[in-house]
Amino acid sequence: MANSKHKISKHLYYHLSRRNFIKGAAVGSVIVGAPAILKGLTRRAKAAEKGVVRMLFTAPTMIPGDWTQFEKDTGLKMEDTVIKDDPGIFLTEIQVNDAGDRFDMISTLSGAEQSLIEGGNIMEMETSAMPNWSGMPANIQSMPYLVRDLSPTAGKVWGVPMAMNADSFGYLPEKLGEPRPPEEASWSLVFESEKTMGRSSTGDNYIYLWEALGYLKHTGQLAVKDILNPSPAEARATADFLIERKEAGQFRLFWKIFDDQVAVMKNGEVDAIRCWEPAVKEANKAGGDWVYATAKEFYLKWMHAVYIPSQVEERGNIEDVYTAINWFLSGGYAYAITPLRGYLNGRPDLAVPYAKSNGLDDISEAMKEAEEKMALKFAKEDFWFSAVPENLQEMQAQMDRVLNA
Amino acid sequence: MNSAVYTSHKPSGLRDFLPRLPAGVWSLSGFSLLWFGGIVLPLLAIIVVSFLQGRGLNIDFDPTFLQYEKFFSYGGGDMLARSVRIAGTVTLIELLLAFPFALWLAKGCKNNTVRLLTFTALTVPFFLSPAARVIVWRSVFGINGAVNQILLGTGIVDEPVLWLIFSEFAVHFGFIGAFFPTMVWPIFLSVSLIDNDYLEASGDLGASRLRTLLHIILPLALPGIVAGFVFTFIPMLGDAVVASHMGGNNVLMLAAQVQSLIGVSNFLVAAALAAVVLAIMLAFQVLLWFALKPVGGLAGVFASLRR
Repeated sequence: MANSKHKISKHLYYHLSRRNFIKGAAVGSVIVGAPAILKGLTRRAKAAEKGVVRMLFTAPTMIPGDWTQFEKDTGLKMEDTVIKDDPGIFLTEIQVNDAGDRFDMISTLSGAEQSLIEGGNIMEMETSAMPNWSGMPANIQSMPYLVRDLSPTAGKVWGVPMAMNADSFGYLPEKLGEPRPPEEASWSLVFESEKTMGRSSTGDNYIYLWEALGYLKHTGQLAVKDILNPSPAEARATADFLIERKEAGQFRLFWKIFDDQVAVMKNGEVDAIRCWEPAVKEANKAGGDWVYATAKEFYLKWMHAVYIPSQVEERGNIEDVYTAINWFLSGGYAYAITPLRGYLNGRPDLAVPYAKSNGLDDISEAMKEAEEKMALKFAKEDFWFSAVPENLQEMQAQMDRVLNA
Repeated sequence: MNSAVYTSHKPSGLRDFLPRLPAGVWSLSGFSLLWFGGIVLPLLAIIVVSFLQGRGLNIDFDPTFLQYEKFFSYGGGDMLARSVRIAGTVTLIELLLAFPFALWLAKGCKNNTVRLLTFTALTVPFFLSPAARVIVWRSVFGINGAVNQILLGTGIVDEPVLWLIFSEFAVHFGFIGAFFPTMVWPIFLSVSLIDNDYLEASGDLGASRLRTLLHIILPLALPGIVAGFVFTFIPMLGDAVVASHMGGNNVLMLAAQVQSLIGVSNFLVAAALAAVVLAIMLAFQVLLWFALKPVGGLAGVFASLRR
């Protein structure tokens, strides 16, 4: 009997304890989760908070290390978020998930703006609200893709150039017996050189199929009607070429993200790689001897631009937003981004005066080098890259065929 | 008195308007509704969408098999076959490795400290990001990695072995490490539930260890094996990390293909892919049904847990 009582009380004890535990867990969860819940509920309001601007990026390399200089120059606080640069993911985030409710500015590769304009997702810009706009060289203001709607000559400005570069590839000149820049090196090191057999790499998406197509065009292996908008047949022919090279053992891997590029360069997995210029800088910090090619055939020229979501119009912080965008056109951003990444912003001419007036390190050599490099690269024909070509899905499908081979 | 007590606890409000049925029926109906709305309806929507046409985010309601044609013409069939083959092979390897390990952990290991350390070792991977779990193998199997250094240093090879990483071998290896705990845990639990008296009785009746294993332990551990298969094979099919990091995208698998399609807003082909995967899963279900029929089906397998 005593045993039985004991069992009952023990059962009761556990029962109550479990109930209390569940109650406690529920209360605890609410307390612990409250900041996150409140943050979510007030996200829209926070985007309008005075003195804070929120920005969505699709490339981590657009961020200048930290935002100390930005905050000092503008008096604003920057909150950044980076998502993957796949156009589908970016457009879904803006057009379906209403990223404009949460962000004051969005930045991505030029070429995506047409969908955003058509969808009413971004607002027309007032260039007069950005003092540094007017001094921007005309050739930067009037770049293809951006020129469609960004150029003042088109009557409307929808975005502001943020940073640009002409991409090629990295290679190890000593090991491969190849010249150093500014002497030219051929894209064949990436696609079909015996020297790099099994030790070259390119990326895993449509951009890199596009570059292979550029290589085929410039080496006379494929007639390409419009390099800016490859046809499905041209994309298929290029995929056939890449499959043949893959089966021959040319490629060590098809990288996915920036960190992959740096890792395989540092670990000695490849001798030539189609990569972003900052990857070369990162690999060399670890003692590498990588150079970024002065390409013989062509460059993939790109620009990241800044856009203002249409929701900002009613948010009441448009002045802060223009102040922030003007900073991306300032010497402050040029000072931060060019020596770090090798990119140029819309006003590289302001970098040296900015450094002088703020008592910062002299970067005139780095700026001169970057501007000369850019002039050399931009002198090549072909081709301005659009994030959203007409046959985007077909191009990615063909690249998938390469990966599936 | 009892009646008064009952009346005082009588449900009120909305329940007054509902037919008087046992509470369990209402719970079941609620769950069924949730299940239908949250699982079945989205799956049906995916199947419907896979037969439509469109461009970007816009969809035309014009039924077609175009998305399926596209999917298979871009190598989708090879990709699916490869995904199922790799996931199936690794699941089988996991079972062969995990079963003796779980048996030892549940019945063989008598030292509590060793058991605790083993539990911890099996749990730690879940606290790491999926990428962190596999990225370390790159420095082990890479061209200048530890394995190649040993092979070169001992003169076994003259040149670094390239297929150790960014290959199907590497993908298999990466999966084995990442999914070992998901196979061990369910088997360990089911083996732990086997009463030691059964094992002793088997021995007392003269059965060899192998006979006890085959006729007592294995049938009673079947629920854990089935659960281990489900927790290992299915998530492996949806894993995007291992194939990318260890395979270097030379080995495209299901999840990476879905990401690729979504990345260019190709939702319709992605829906076709999802529908094909659903069909494969249903086929597996049928196969499982036939395979388990001799032991009383799935219900028969899990009946052993009621002991």
